[in-house]
Amino acid sequence: MATPAPIEVPPPNDRRGSRASQTSVHTQDEISPVGGPPTSPSPLQIRASRESSRKQSATKQPPDLSLLQYVSKPDSNLMCLICHCPFSDPLQLECEHIFCGDCLHTWEAQQAQQAQQRNRELADRKCPTCRTKYTGTRAVPKIIASMLDELVVNCPHTRAGCKWVDQRSNVKDHVMLYCEYTPVACSSFDCRHHIAQKDYHKGCLHYTVSCEQCHTSMMKKDLEVCVTDHQRTACAGRSTNCPHCSCELLRLDLKAHIKDVCGKVVVPCQGAIVGCAFSAERAEVVTHEKGCPMATMAPHFRDQQARIERNEARLEPLSRKVGILEDGLSNITNMLYPANANDSSYPVTNPLDPNTSEPFPPASLVPTPDFRLPPASFPPVPPNDTSQTPFQNPSQPPFDSQVHHLLTLHDSLREEVSRIANALTECEGRTNMMVINESQRVKDEMLHTNAAINGMRMQLHWLMSATLHQRTSSSASSSTGRAAASTSASGSGSAPTQGASRSGTGGTYHAPLRRLSDSTRQDTKL
Amino acid sequence: MFASKRLAKELQKLHDKLPPGITLVKADDLQEWIMDIRVVDNNPIYVGEVYRLKFTFSQSYPIEAPEVVFVRDETHPIPWHPHIYSNGIICLDLLDRQGWSPVHNVESVCVSLQSMLTSNTKKERPEGDDNFVRNNRLRPRDINFIFHDNQV
Ligand SMILES: [Zn+2]
Ligand SMILES: [Zn+2]
Ligand SMILES: [Zn+2]
Ligand SMILES: [Zn+2]
Ligand SMILES: [Zn+2]
Ligand SMILES: [Zn+2]
Ligand SMILES: [Zn+2]
Repeated sequence: MATPAPIEVPPPNDRRGSRASQTSVHTQDEISPVGGPPTSPSPLQIRASRESSRKQSATKQPPDLSLLQYVSKPDSNLMCLICHCPFSDPLQLECEHIFCGDCLHTWEAQQAQQAQQRNRELADRKCPTCRTKYTGTRAVPKIIASMLDELVVNCPHTRAGCKWVDQRSNVKDHVMLYCEYTPVACSSFDCRHHIAQKDYHKGCLHYTVSCEQCHTSMMKKDLEVCVTDHQRTACAGRSTNCPHCSCELLRLDLKAHIKDVCGKVVVPCQGAIVGCAFSAERAEVVTHEKGCPMATMAPHFRDQQARIERNEARLEPLSRKVGILEDGLSNITNMLYPANANDSSYPVTNPLDPNTSEPFPPASLVPTPDFRLPPASFPPVPPNDTSQTPFQNPSQPPFDSQVHHLLTLHDSLREEVSRIANALTECEGRTNMMVINESQRVKDEMLHTNAAINGMRMQLHWLMSATLHQRTSSSASSSTGRAAASTSASGSGSAPTQGASRSGTGGTYHAPLRRLSDSTRQDTKL
Repeated sequence: MFASKRLAKELQKLHDKLPPGITLVKADDLQEWIMDIRVVDNNPIYVGEVYRLKFTFSQSYPIEAPEVVFVRDETHPIPWHPHIYSNGIICLDLLDRQGWSPVHNVESVCVSLQSMLTSNTKKERPEGDDNFVRNNRLRPRDINFIFHDNQV
């Protein structure tokens, strides 16, 4: 059975809460047995009831707090004077003496029983320590409760093998939910034994087997655990005699004795691996080895041997790796120069294969140039074999590589061109922008100038008409002048542009002139 | 169960440390223990003598008092005391049903007996000792002692 699912665990503060309520109210404490099982069934219980209704006893015993092993000796002030253990579910009397709930209730029950035997009412309950009368009990101060909760204990199943160590307040959860060593009823239907939770799934181990030496029957479970113990200490047939030296020893140790210790076994000299042929009883061999040069060398040889073996073992995967890499390399080569593979005139299919170099006249003692990986820009190859094969001539770099070179060049040129084209486009755009900006500015300036010129023209007109007016008024009569003025006023109202060029009296000139100037400005702005 | 747990604890403590004049002689099981006590100061009545105590525990110890008697053999006499009968039965309220409290333990009982002897000055037996020793068939716990004086 696997460890119980953690979902089943009640939250720790929940547990503390229930504990506090248990201890705080006396009456409630009496109803629920102290240290009783938790109300929620353990996952194991649930599963067991699901799996088979016939097996209902897969319950676990809650830990008995009074049997716990404390990691360090608890403070003597936390000890119950009745049970001599740190308090569990403590209660405080009015005299402030504290006892375990269980202990106090047992004592009270005994007192009541005694009074009954004497046919007397139990007059008063008295504190066991100071004999002060008390009428009720109450919960202990919180600080004491938490000091008790924080006592560090071992798991109650430590002897079964559990390594758990934690605060006492958690021990119940541990035992009921997590501990792998909590005894549970055996999974077998008709078995009444208990088994550690971790072995639950192994089925029933409660059948007897007998020791092959002494025929003592033991529980299988015990034998598994203690087989060495039994054979070392209890087994009647545990001792035996060495067949060689007839010394008495444990059967368990016999093999080791013969292999390494026994003085009468015939063993070869240690130098055997180097060639010593001596072989005798161990005791003799030991004296022989002192003088045997080969025996003194033997350890070094053994070391060397071991090292060689290690290296060989390491070499094996390395050589495999090299093979794989070679394959990969030739694949790559074929992929890079596919022309070679088809070009029978050029032996590059397998450059490593010496047979492919046969088209070359064997007479040439010059090593075949290695064309396997020609560089992009090939170095000039010494024209040493020009004389031999004219069509292979100019023994220059393989033309496929020339093509490759040209292709590369072409590629790079194309790249260059496209880069230049990009730059050009960019440049053009920039120039266009500049031109547009500049022309705009020029246009603005021209408009300004136009406006200024118009203004000046207006002024000129005004000045000219003023001069003309002066001249006419001084020369002509006053009546004619008045009539002329009215005519000019009406004319200028209907057609100002024309009116500006006409002559009139000074009083009426101003308004139309101004209006003109205004309209001109507006045009400039637009 | 209750008794054995508690006695195991006490035994562990007794093995650790004992007050002067008290020795643990035998505690093979959790039912009967043998303790030796001697008076530490120079009370002339008890000087040079060692007394042997037999504790018998019931299942409900320490809720119930243990049965404690002096035992006599060649080297261990019964001490003279106006509350100790010559058959070793002790008349001490501490060991009586009424006077017992579960906070007492083997060590505290020994210490009480030790101080009871230490403070004694009369080398005598209780009244009617002969009669009591001859006729008593009751176990010590069932005897109803009348505690004459509380100064013991
Ligand atoms: Zn207690
Ligand atoms: Zn008290
Ligand atoms: Zn555990
Ligand atoms: Zn079983
Ligand atoms: Zn055996
Ligand atoms: Zn041997
Ligand atoms: Zn040799």
